[in-house]
Amino acid sequence: MLLDLDGITVAFGGLIAVGDVTFAMAEGDVLGLVGPNGAGKTTLFNAVSGLVRPTRGQARFLGRDLVAMPIHARARAGIGRTFQVPQPMHELTVRENLMVASRFATGRIDRERIAEILDLLKLGHKADADAATSLALTEQKALEVGKALATNPKLLMLDEVLAGLETAGKRAFMHTLAEVRQRYGLGLLIIEHDIETITRLCPRVVVLNFGRLIAEGSPDHVFNDPEVIRSYTGGEAA
Amino acid sequence: MNNSVKIAVFLALSYVAVPLALGSNTYVIGLIVAALTIAGIAVAWALLGNLGGMVSFGHAAFFGVGAYVSALLTLRGGWPVFPAMLMAGVGAAIASVATMPALRLRGPYFALAILAYAEIFRILATELKPVTGGAAGLLSIPRLPNVLGLDFGSKLGGYFVILTIVVAAMAAYHLIRRSAYGLALKAMHDSEDATRVVGVNSIVLKAWMLMVSAFITGMVGAFNAHYINFLEPDYAFAGQWTMLAIVSAIFGGYRTVSGPLAGALVVYLVDQLAFKPILPQGHQIVLGVLLGAMILFNPGGMMSMLTAKFLRKEASHAA
Repeated sequence: MLLDLDGITVAFGGLIAVGDVTFAMAEGDVLGLVGPNGAGKTTLFNAVSGLVRPTRGQARFLGRDLVAMPIHARARAGIGRTFQVPQPMHELTVRENLMVASRFATGRIDRERIAEILDLLKLGHKADADAATSLALTEQKALEVGKALATNPKLLMLDEVLAGLETAGKRAFMHTLAEVRQRYGLGLLIIEHDIETITRLCPRVVVLNFGRLIAEGSPDHVFNDPEVIRSYTGGEAA
Repeated sequence: MNNSVKIAVFLALSYVAVPLALGSNTYVIGLIVAALTIAGIAVAWALLGNLGGMVSFGHAAFFGVGAYVSALLTLRGGWPVFPAMLMAGVGAAIASVATMPALRLRGPYFALAILAYAEIFRILATELKPVTGGAAGLLSIPRLPNVLGLDFGSKLGGYFVILTIVVAAMAAYHLIRRSAYGLALKAMHDSEDATRVVGVNSIVLKAWMLMVSAFITGMVGAFNAHYINFLEPDYAFAGQWTMLAIVSAIFGGYRTVSGPLAGALVVYLVDQLAFKPILPQGHQIVLGVLLGAMILFNPGGMMSMLTAKFLRKEASHAA
């Protein structure tokens, strides 16, 4: 298994942000993670990438125990992630952002791969521009993906990477993501609110609500699930 | 003027022109040595502040430890002075390991924690009488040696030694800043989580910067011990070593490699040569006002201001 979560629970004091979540992904899988605001999706990302420590539960990545693994070691093991709000590294150019990711996650600066990523994400013309001040939102989102790709991940976790983009930008980005997956053969775990995007990108979807997993299956199956509809509408299913 | 030419001019001025012009004036050379001593700590402080993102109020700890290590190795261990000075850097770097729990703290909490460490080291130096001589201190610390006819124990010889330490520290600052480690350290300032998730072990990197900074400061402390041939805890661990370094680094521009040196030279020499004769009591007030003005109107410091002016001038020539 690429990622194997078993009963993952994250509690902040008395608040259960993620409760007893269990699912698994095989290598190369594409899985959508959906749910209303506050459902615990980003907290689950944080638990997998190491930014928060699960209160209970087991997490394994390619057979290795994740819970005791430090954040930087998870990146080196092959877990790449983006942030909902882009976090370009300040005072660094776009290329330097990728160089840092490449150097520290893989032990060497893979300039060939960096050039390939810049090209793939259409950031080549901004490679030597200041990452924090000279990128449009779409480019900042692309840089988030680029940094994660530069770590040579086996699992890429995308946190609302399409949010805030207009329809054309969204379509272009989805096309790029498909190309990324095809080229690098990596697993994708995608948080996204846009149902159309999830339906087009993910053959399998997991739905969280109030931190709990309430449905899992194909997009058709889960988006017709009465409990999922209730969780989004706050009322009865049609 | 490209960077190689600038460096060559700087080295020629420092190693040739200054000794030729001022070598016989022991008073001025003495002042320059004092300014360079502060510059050495300022470069080390800036390296930690700029690259490590940590504001330290406790560099006096590393200065003092370096001074005592070198003094004791030469006095009690019979070590030659220069190897002892290197070991002083190592000693200060090892001492910095004791301060590493503070690396988990951020901002003012780190600054205050490391200040507490400096005080602990001062108390240790005072209380460990059999080793350090206690409050009475250590006398007759061996002076800098005579090597191949060059008397490093003289004022001018001392100038060459401290200048070399400062130049080496600046070179280290420059090389680290340009490396992947430097990029990661810079990146950590505003987005530490974003750097950790791409594989950067932020605690280890900060620890390395602290050790490098402590090593340089320890060497400067060792130089000072052999230059003045006397040590006592209240002097070696005095807060002034930290404060003057911070003022110099911020005045000169701690985000540039040359800023701390320029800041130390201007702050110390202008104070001693211009303000002190006019205002023997309270001449530091003028410096305080100047520093305040610099922070208010040009927080990047003197070197960034001069660089911006130079670039504007070049642009107007090109237009």
